[in-house]
Amino acid sequence: MPTLTIDNQPVTVAEGTTIIQAAERLGLVIPHFCYHEALGAAGSCRLCAVRIEKGPLKGIQMACMIPAQDGMVVTTLDPEAVEFRAHVAEWAMTDHPHDCPVCDEGGECQLQEMTIAAGHGTRRFRGLKRTYPNQDLGPFIVQEMNRCIQCYRCVRTYRDYCGGTDYGTFGSRNRVAYGRVTAGRLASPFSGNIIDLCPTGVLTDKTFRFKCRSWDLQEAPSVCPHCSLGCNTLPGARYRELLRVKARVNRAVNGFFICDRGRFGHGYQNHPQRLREPHVDGESVSWNDALAAVHERISQTTEHHGHGTVAFLGSRRATLEANLLLGQWAAATGCTRTVYECHPEFDRIARTVAARLGDQRRSPGDIQRSDFILLIGAEPLAEAPVLALAIRQAKRNGARIVILDPRPPQLPCAFEHLPLTPEQLQLALEQLATKKFKGWTRDESTTLRNLGKDLTAAQNPVIIGAGALLGAAGIERLFDLVDASSPAARPCGVLVPLAGPNSYAAGLLSNGGPDFDDLLDAILNGMVKTLVCLETDPFEDYPQHGRAQSALAQLESLIVLDALPTQTTRHADIVLPTTVPVESDGCYINHEGRLQAFAKVLDPGLSVAVTGGGDHPPRIFEQSAPGNLPRPAWAILAEILKLPTETAALRQQLARTDNRFAALTQIHRAAEGEIVTAIGIPPRPQDDDGAVESSVPGSLQLWPIDTFGGADIFSTYSVHLDPLRDEPYILLADEDAKQRGLTDGAGAVLTSELGHLKVRVRCTATIPAGIAFLPHLLRGATAGFVPGGGALSCTLKSVEGEA
Amino acid sequence: MSPRMSEYPQVLFKNRVPGETVLIDGYRTTGGYTALEKAFKELDPATIRDQVKRANLRGRGGAGFPTGIKWSFFPADQPGEKYLVCNCDEMEPGTYKDRELLKADPHQLIEGVIIAAFALQTPVAYIFIRYAFEDCAANLDRAVAEAAAAGYLGKNILGSGFDCEIHVHRSAGRYILGEETALLNGLEGKRPNPRSKPPFPAVRGLFGQPTTVNNVETLANVPHIINHGAEWFKGLARTLEGAGTKLFGLSGHLERTACFELPVGILLREVVEEVGGGVRGGRTFKACLPGGASTPYLTAAQLDTPLDFEPLEAVGSRFGTAGVTVFDDTTCMVAATLNLIRFFARESCGWCTPCRDGLPVVAWLLDKIEAGKATFDDIDMLKDQFRNISGRSFCALAEGAMGPVAGLLNHFEQELADHVIKGRCPLKKK
Amino acid sequence: MELLPENQQEFFRSKAAAIAHPRELVIDALRAVQSHHGWVPDEGVTLVAALLGILPIEVEEVATFYDKIFRRPVGKRVIHVCDSICCWTREGEAIFTYLQEKLGIAPGETTTDGVFTLLPTCCLGACGDAPAMMIGLTTYGPLTPQRIDEILAQVRAEVSA
Repeated sequence: MPTLTIDNQPVTVAEGTTIIQAAERLGLVIPHFCYHEALGAAGSCRLCAVRIEKGPLKGIQMACMIPAQDGMVVTTLDPEAVEFRAHVAEWAMTDHPHDCPVCDEGGECQLQEMTIAAGHGTRRFRGLKRTYPNQDLGPFIVQEMNRCIQCYRCVRTYRDYCGGTDYGTFGSRNRVAYGRVTAGRLASPFSGNIIDLCPTGVLTDKTFRFKCRSWDLQEAPSVCPHCSLGCNTLPGARYRELLRVKARVNRAVNGFFICDRGRFGHGYQNHPQRLREPHVDGESVSWNDALAAVHERISQTTEHHGHGTVAFLGSRRATLEANLLLGQWAAATGCTRTVYECHPEFDRIARTVAARLGDQRRSPGDIQRSDFILLIGAEPLAEAPVLALAIRQAKRNGARIVILDPRPPQLPCAFEHLPLTPEQLQLALEQLATKKFKGWTRDESTTLRNLGKDLTAAQNPVIIGAGALLGAAGIERLFDLVDASSPAARPCGVLVPLAGPNSYAAGLLSNGGPDFDDLLDAILNGMVKTLVCLETDPFEDYPQHGRAQSALAQLESLIVLDALPTQTTRHADIVLPTTVPVESDGCYINHEGRLQAFAKVLDPGLSVAVTGGGDHPPRIFEQSAPGNLPRPAWAILAEILKLPTETAALRQQLARTDNRFAALTQIHRAAEGEIVTAIGIPPRPQDDDGAVESSVPGSLQLWPIDTFGGADIFSTYSVHLDPLRDEPYILLADEDAKQRGLTDGAGAVLTSELGHLKVRVRCTATIPAGIAFLPHLLRGATAGFVPGGGALSCTLKSVEGEA
Repeated sequence: MSPRMSEYPQVLFKNRVPGETVLIDGYRTTGGYTALEKAFKELDPATIRDQVKRANLRGRGGAGFPTGIKWSFFPADQPGEKYLVCNCDEMEPGTYKDRELLKADPHQLIEGVIIAAFALQTPVAYIFIRYAFEDCAANLDRAVAEAAAAGYLGKNILGSGFDCEIHVHRSAGRYILGEETALLNGLEGKRPNPRSKPPFPAVRGLFGQPTTVNNVETLANVPHIINHGAEWFKGLARTLEGAGTKLFGLSGHLERTACFELPVGILLREVVEEVGGGVRGGRTFKACLPGGASTPYLTAAQLDTPLDFEPLEAVGSRFGTAGVTVFDDTTCMVAATLNLIRFFARESCGWCTPCRDGLPVVAWLLDKIEAGKATFDDIDMLKDQFRNISGRSFCALAEGAMGPVAGLLNHFEQELADHVIKGRCPLKKK
Repeated sequence: MELLPENQQEFFRSKAAAIAHPRELVIDALRAVQSHHGWVPDEGVTLVAALLGILPIEVEEVATFYDKIFRRPVGKRVIHVCDSICCWTREGEAIFTYLQEKLGIAPGETTTDGVFTLLPTCCLGACGDAPAMMIGLTTYGPLTPQRIDEILAQVRAEVSA
């Protein structure tokens, strides 16, 4: 732990810390371009010059390149260093177009800030500037190469950090340029990070282009709602429209990075179909009338059918506050059937995780420091994209990555892959734990045995698995394996991506209560007559759509709180419009039990772009904005319960009522969130193992899966993500395709219990025979194929004449 | 030929016949490969390394780092992949000695590479050769094949148990590849930006493995040191601290512009007036680059400087590659410096700001001064550019580019001022 | 026009498969394509990537760095005229001007008959024979206008033969 002095202030830092990092600890920002905490030093921009007065290398040195040493004395204010930094800024600016007034980076431009910080103010160079043509990089990112200062951050982010393969550095001398070999969309699912990392306006957000100056944005710290990782974000809004999302730093979770789904999937907030007004029986009504109707229906149900005939359904995407209040409301009505997840398999998984995760929880930040990562039945790019980025960093740090999965893995790094069928995954989980290997070929047996040994030998292993292929039984086996691989000296880590941003809370809140299958039985048996749904869509998210539909049709009243239209809101008797996450304060608990708060970015309302019809906003002066009726679900529930509808007071109340969430009172101040250490109640033992029915000859075992394009409701209502969503396709083994006379890219008709579906064929050699995968997309043609409900039997026929 | 050529011992050029290439038989006639036989049969690697160290052989590629010391950093006895790389990316303007050596007598390099590979215990050696030297590359291909056929390359060389293979790598242009870490990136097929040091190539070099990079002429000296000993080698120089002969490439305004093997420490005056036959057309010596484009100018006042590392550093210049480019009294030193800076600016790899963006600013200033459109503020700006580029770039390229600017500012400040005062180049006829 | 004959493609494929770091062949492969095809088109970049089993971006990053890899069409012979210091001291600029006038093209251009492309180059390592130029891979110097006329005529004859 060397202690050094920078500008007369002593600081003690960890071995290997560079001078620039040590200075940062003291709150001294040494001007820099190429250095970035996540990317490290490149030594290329030369801006961070300081003088080392005492130390092994004296004189003017680059602060990013020199490790701090004990007794070192550094000054950032040395006249020679100051003069040099001004020169570096001057050089960097020689070719700059000075087009700040029309540059989207304006106001948040590191080049601007550092040029001023470095003391360069007057242009002396009057020669010709070199200019570049720009390249079309697709729908997300605009390139304006003339603004480039060649700091190499974009390639270091895109290629080195994110593992992208289609962006690089071209040319030499003062003609260095960055781009793709040919124009086109950047293929990496993390491409948007180059926008955040570019210190100037070369790479800007195309979805945000020319919409607003950065200083006019309403911004507030937020948490991404698109998956269970809980990446920290900084959404920006203006004129009642969410315009963009940037990554916000949380070193324990997402570091400096988010995925393109989280970044560009912001269109849901301003979607024209947003639910804007309360409705009762299809009629638009005032909030007072709507809440009176809710009160009336619930009272009527209780009066006519007795206590307990009203049931409540919480959700993975409603805030912790709203889910907690839903539980309080349910208790107040005497309800014994409060369910927090409408997908029973995902419910069991969330409960298992909440009950068993404990100290073996791992965040993406922890994953980066792991030396052995075993993925079983997980596809991080679909289920928790930034996890894939963390795995890549582990790989770059020398970790071994092993994947057991029937699908061709899509990780942005090298890995070892053993393609096993979903049944074999269960077997592997079981036998890796017991270390007795049966039912394998000799090679498989050896591989698995060695894998078991290596898992035991690893210093910091992590096992990652997800529910779509493993099911709840598989996740329980995964935890058994984690326990079996955890000698006292060194616990094995585990990470299970969950179904939604607040699934963990749902698992914790279920408290051993019934699941949605039980609830559907109760409805079918006439024991439940009214159902209140909190930001959930049981019609679509429950795997067997038919069963959900016939049960829910028997309800006397369906009361739904939601922000966007779903099958459930369409069937609802009462609809209460809620805000989307950026429009209210709230908390989520991520996959590892990390409670994180997000703050309101903007008030709900029809955006000026809509009310103005693309022209100047209408000159009608009102006290309130059009379309501003949606309210936070927790505020609606608090009002019903006559509790405070102000965030801080409400959180105080909730923390008092349920001390598992005591952290709620301070959570808005916790930079990295707070781990909720309360242990959940595991699900009841299950008889049915989710075993796949024996297949009919000629049929395929079809597994619905999620993909990066996203199956969460916020993604599917975000048009910017459309380019990431493929037309329906089926992924299967080469030999299975060949047997059916199909080739890669051919059109086919898939027939299953859900009817016929036109799909495009994608085949590869590595998929085990007899298995096929179908990407699930809400609101699309494959909406009926819900992942996590096991496999379906299907047949596949070629379509004549379809290319 | 200079009347005094017979006074200069010919070691590297002893077989040289202009327009011809010595093949293996010719090479062996004059003692070729005897050093290799001696090394493999009588000496062990450590002894060879020691002998090179005692000979005080300094790198001939420009930087002049003592070869024996470089070799002593190399983990020769450590098992595993290791590489020897010969740098023949000779691209510094005014430098063409390696080309002359390889055109005349390529086996000298092959023998030197094999002995060095044995001394460093590197079973794989690369010779990295620039695009424009296809003639030399062809000579090397043939020499490698001949040496292999003679049993000097391949498996178990001369029964020693040591294997060695040599690959000749042809490059595709760009001066920066002469920088040893850029060269390693180039060899690996990556963008040839220089690497950050440490780690030095001896620790992490080619493909991440320990690597030594030596210049052609440096390695070609090794067989002679093995044959004749360290004391003999030191005795070849005219200075006490110097060692060996040096290939001097003469160019510019001299009567004789050719490459000569001369003793280290020979006076600049002797090179210009005797060897080079004096300034062309009987004109007056104004200045010269003593060791390639990156070495600060010497003026007539420094003609009696011995051409060796220390004496040249003492007068504010460098020995460099010993490519001596002479300028006569009609030369505008601003224009000459502009030409040099344009070269360096164009050959910048584009990695660091002072080099990539600073050198074009210097070129712009010099162009403005030469055109007579500059003010004294521009000369001040030239000085502050010089002060801030020198010693501040990622690698030595921009540092080298400041060499002639240093010479210009130190020796020709009046000439710079005259451009401003007269509003035109004072040396150009109206 | 064919990018690279099949036997050479096979040479690179098998060599890439046999060595630990196939990427080290990228310059060799680019030069092979250029030598056969005259210059390296986009398809040449893709081909080299495929032959060596590396990414097209890795090939392009290298191809655009080197000045002797041509990513745009050039004439049948490229004339590289040295513009560095030694040739400059020996009337290199006049020689360059003479070449431009003689060929009727500016630097970077190709003659209308498609035979010559004229490019400036840094020092060719022919400083003793200044002023110098390189046509293809052959260096010529010291140059005079008469010598240039002879050389161009000779090269033209070779090309049309």
